[in-house]
Amino acid sequence: MSHQVKGLKEEARGGMKGRARSGSPRTGDRLGRRSSSKQALKAEGTPGRRGAQRSQKERAGGSPSPGSPRRKQTGRRRHGEELGEQERSKAERTCQGRRKRDERASFKEQTAAPKKEKEIPRKEKLKRQKKPRSSSLASSASGGESLSEEELARILEQVEEKKKLIATMRSKPWPMAKKLTELREAQEFVEKYEGALGKGKGKRLYAYQMLMAKKWVKFKRDFDNFKTQCIPWEMKIKDIESHFGSSVASYFIFLRWMYGVNLVLFGLIFGLVIIPEVLMGMPYGSIPRKTVPRAEEEKAMDFSVLWDFEGYIKYSALFYGYYNNQRTIGWLRYRLPMAYFMVGVSVFGYSLMIVIRSMASNTQGSTGEGESDNFTFSFKMFTSWDYLIGNSETADNKYASITTSFKESIVDEQESNKEENIHLTRFLRVLANFLIICCLCGSGYLIYFVVKRSQQFSKMQNVSWYERNEVEIVMSLLGMFCPPLFETIALLENYHPRTGLKWQLGRIFALFLGNLYTFLLALMDDVHLKLANEETIKNITHWTLFNYYNSSGWNESVPRPPLHPADVPRGSCWETAVGIEFMRLTVSDMLVTYITILLGDFLRACFVRFMNYCWCWDLEAGFPSYAEFDISGNVLGLIFNQGMIWMGSFYAPGLVGINVLRLLTSMYFQCWAVMSSNVPHERVFKASRSNNFYMGLLLLVLFLSLLPVAYTIMSLPPSFDCGPFSGKNRMYDVLQETIENDFPTFLGKIFAFLANPGLIIPAILLMFLAIYYLNSVSKSLSQANAQLRKKIQALREVEKSHKSVKGKATARDSGYTPKSSSKNATQLQLTKEETTPPSASQSQAMDKKAQGPGTSNSASRTALPASGHLPISRPPGVGPDSGHTPSQTHLWRSASGKSAQRPPH
Amino acid sequence: MGSRSSHAVIPDADSIRRETGFSQASLLRLHHRFRALDRNKKGYLSRMDLQQIGALAVNPLGDRIIESFFPDGSQQVDFPGFVRVLAHFRPVEDEDTETQDPKKPEPLNSRRNKLHYAFQLYDLDRDGKISRHEMLQVLRLMVGVEVTEEQLENIADRTVQEADEDGDGAVSFVEFTKSLEKMDVEQKMSIRILK
Repeated sequence: MSHQVKGLKEEARGGMKGRARSGSPRTGDRLGRRSSSKQALKAEGTPGRRGAQRSQKERAGGSPSPGSPRRKQTGRRRHGEELGEQERSKAERTCQGRRKRDERASFKEQTAAPKKEKEIPRKEKLKRQKKPRSSSLASSASGGESLSEEELARILEQVEEKKKLIATMRSKPWPMAKKLTELREAQEFVEKYEGALGKGKGKRLYAYQMLMAKKWVKFKRDFDNFKTQCIPWEMKIKDIESHFGSSVASYFIFLRWMYGVNLVLFGLIFGLVIIPEVLMGMPYGSIPRKTVPRAEEEKAMDFSVLWDFEGYIKYSALFYGYYNNQRTIGWLRYRLPMAYFMVGVSVFGYSLMIVIRSMASNTQGSTGEGESDNFTFSFKMFTSWDYLIGNSETADNKYASITTSFKESIVDEQESNKEENIHLTRFLRVLANFLIICCLCGSGYLIYFVVKRSQQFSKMQNVSWYERNEVEIVMSLLGMFCPPLFETIALLENYHPRTGLKWQLGRIFALFLGNLYTFLLALMDDVHLKLANEETIKNITHWTLFNYYNSSGWNESVPRPPLHPADVPRGSCWETAVGIEFMRLTVSDMLVTYITILLGDFLRACFVRFMNYCWCWDLEAGFPSYAEFDISGNVLGLIFNQGMIWMGSFYAPGLVGINVLRLLTSMYFQCWAVMSSNVPHERVFKASRSNNFYMGLLLLVLFLSLLPVAYTIMSLPPSFDCGPFSGKNRMYDVLQETIENDFPTFLGKIFAFLANPGLIIPAILLMFLAIYYLNSVSKSLSQANAQLRKKIQALREVEKSHKSVKGKATARDSGYTPKSSSKNATQLQLTKEETTPPSASQSQAMDKKAQGPGTSNSASRTALPASGHLPISRPPGVGPDSGHTPSQTHLWRSASGKSAQRPPH
Repeated sequence: MGSRSSHAVIPDADSIRRETGFSQASLLRLHHRFRALDRNKKGYLSRMDLQQIGALAVNPLGDRIIESFFPDGSQQVDFPGFVRVLAHFRPVEDEDTETQDPKKPEPLNSRRNKLHYAFQLYDLDRDGKISRHEMLQVLRLMVGVEVTEEQLENIADRTVQEADEDGDGAVSFVEFTKSLEKMDVEQKMSIRILK
């Protein structure tokens, strides 16, 4: 073993010597060439003094290839004259020109070798075509210079270096595989660029390529900047995140996502339903369903009426009832009822798809990146400041964000290190859940009771104001008092705030479901009542029309003018009523939210801020204090609002438009409110940037809101005189109608076949099986993942404890501790003497030198990690004079596996 | 142009270039910058000159950075010294790492030296270790008054606990390197324009 190591060592030494030997003349050559070429190239931009200076230098330094650079210079200079120097300013030109002429006189005698001369003009040509471009690119002359000449010189250098590498490859102390790959790379590089340097066509092409590559890089960078700028509200959210932590920011990110979804829904509904109806449908006032009835006409334009979405708004394209049941409209023969139905379905389809997709991508993202939680604090401590910040405002934000991130990790840390009495915690948690379930059951029963009572009240006459509004009052009281109660009870549980927030969300969600239940129940009662009345109204309408046309007392010879649409008696059109209900709810919800923010947050903040000067106790620190941002309430408000939108959008196509406006304003309003009048949470905690829990709740709400809509579509008959489906037995009949009339018959047969239960049930079964299978696969994978992570963690712990034990031992006798890491303890013991690191004083000296051979030693020593992989991809630059071979042997030992367990000495 | 006139006065530009690996153009640019910072045409920079830079003024570690330009407590830094410090931020190029000349010392822009530069910013007394005390000072600079002293100490303790491997209660350079192993230092500590 030791033989092997020694052999290796010797080989390396020899190799190094060889390299040094072979390298030195070449290096000199390279340097010379580099300087000459660079000078030659530089000479173009600043030909005067510099050229002279350089030529002097060359003479003094004894450049290896005298003559040629000068020749180049002359050539270029001449070329400069040929160009006429259009790009340069006139003043410069005259002065330079004079200088040049002088120099040319002195240089002209030296021009020789016609063969070389030939090359020069070609280069000149290149220069000529490059120069204007570069000068246009960079306004300053120095910028222009660096563009072309820098590049060329660098390429030349690189090619030379690669050539050298190829030549010295044999003696490099690398493993064979690396040598091979390096060799291949170097050869490719030389092949690619060598032609570009000297010879005419390749060079021009190369110059062009370089220019384009540069531009492309710049373009990509600009485009990336542009992309980040295009993300709406990104800066606002970052601002909030830096002050309030990621948990508050997660709400705003959710809000932004919601806004995006609503924009798509808005586009769908407006583009395919409302705009075609407005453009091609029958105009207002043409048929009864599009006209305000005679009785309402007087008040139809009053603001109080419009505010309730009655009057003219009720008879507009915003609501279901306005649409006609004509199969096709306009010259496009647009099938509006069909489109209406399909849009209603696809609103749900799209929402489901997008929610599930984003949930899936979130999970993938969270498992995909293995977050390293090993050095969180070190990372935050050493790398959190962004040294490119030059703006004081940005710096303030950065301060805030560093502070919050520290706070977040302190909380996380405290949670993970919490010493707790497990039995007590369990008991408290069970108790808390019991209490909360009691609360929920109680409020559920209360709601049920109140709803029952209200149904009785609705049958009675002359009920008081309280009895009429009992349900609403009870609901809002519950909504006001239950969440704080839950929060108080949740204190018992002593959860991590992130988990706590989830529980809180879940509990309030359950409470809000009761709200939803009462609302839907009341609505359904209303709908059924209207449906019951429909038959009688239908008869009345028939009779009215019949009487109108057949009544006597009218001159028979003149045909009667048709009855004015406003006079025709109508049904109550339950669909529009439902739509109006949702519309009102959304708007009032929005207003309540805004007023709450204004009163509860802003006014409170103003009061606390300004009354603090003249108050008997400290308002800011004491009782009222500033409000914290209520994450759970806001998130749930957003989710339930979205549920309303999903439920209502089928009966009120304009609802999504209102919602888009609402989200837009609340984005700005809440951003402002949060920054102006809220304080960060006491325990700032870290939330994942895309919260799947919110998405899960949203999915649940989506599903719940799908149910009533599906029920009404599938099992209630549409109104007879309003809406696109009037006259049909069920709304989905429009589908059948289209298939029968517009598709070939065999398609209809296929659809009928597909709808066969015999086919659907097996398909559903298959789906269940697939879900079960995929679920179990993913479970096992995630289990394996967790296990691996645990293993890594354990490995690290073991290693650390080893080291600290050993470190303490050595610290006692030498006052210093070696950091050599090793694969196992035995090796650690064996290599102890060899790896005795530089003492403290030594390392201090090295710090001053900033780059000594010893420091590189220790680097390679650290670079030998316990996990057994080589983190450095390149050999350490070991000074030849150092004579510190241990580091090299060290490296090779690890490179050659565990072959060397004994020190080479 | 300024670059031309300034070129004439760069003293032994070649040796600086050899040491730092800067290209001619960026050396010119740096010299230009150097002269712009040097307000009294002294030929060297003092601490005052560097404190004028706005970006450093807002940086909590700005003073440390300025200090890093003045090794051994000297009061002035000349152009070669200026360039030498900035050479730490030269982007690492592929050919630098592949065809390293074994005779030359490690280039200033190597990963190690970059890290060492960062390490120096935290190592106030230059004893080769970042002690808990030094960490607390940096923390105070970075988070200000919003976090209580107790929490700050908590953080410092945790950091030491994480990074310290030999149990001496301080972070040595080796441990520092290790804790930032996953950091893309080559890229993060590079300034694109300094080629």
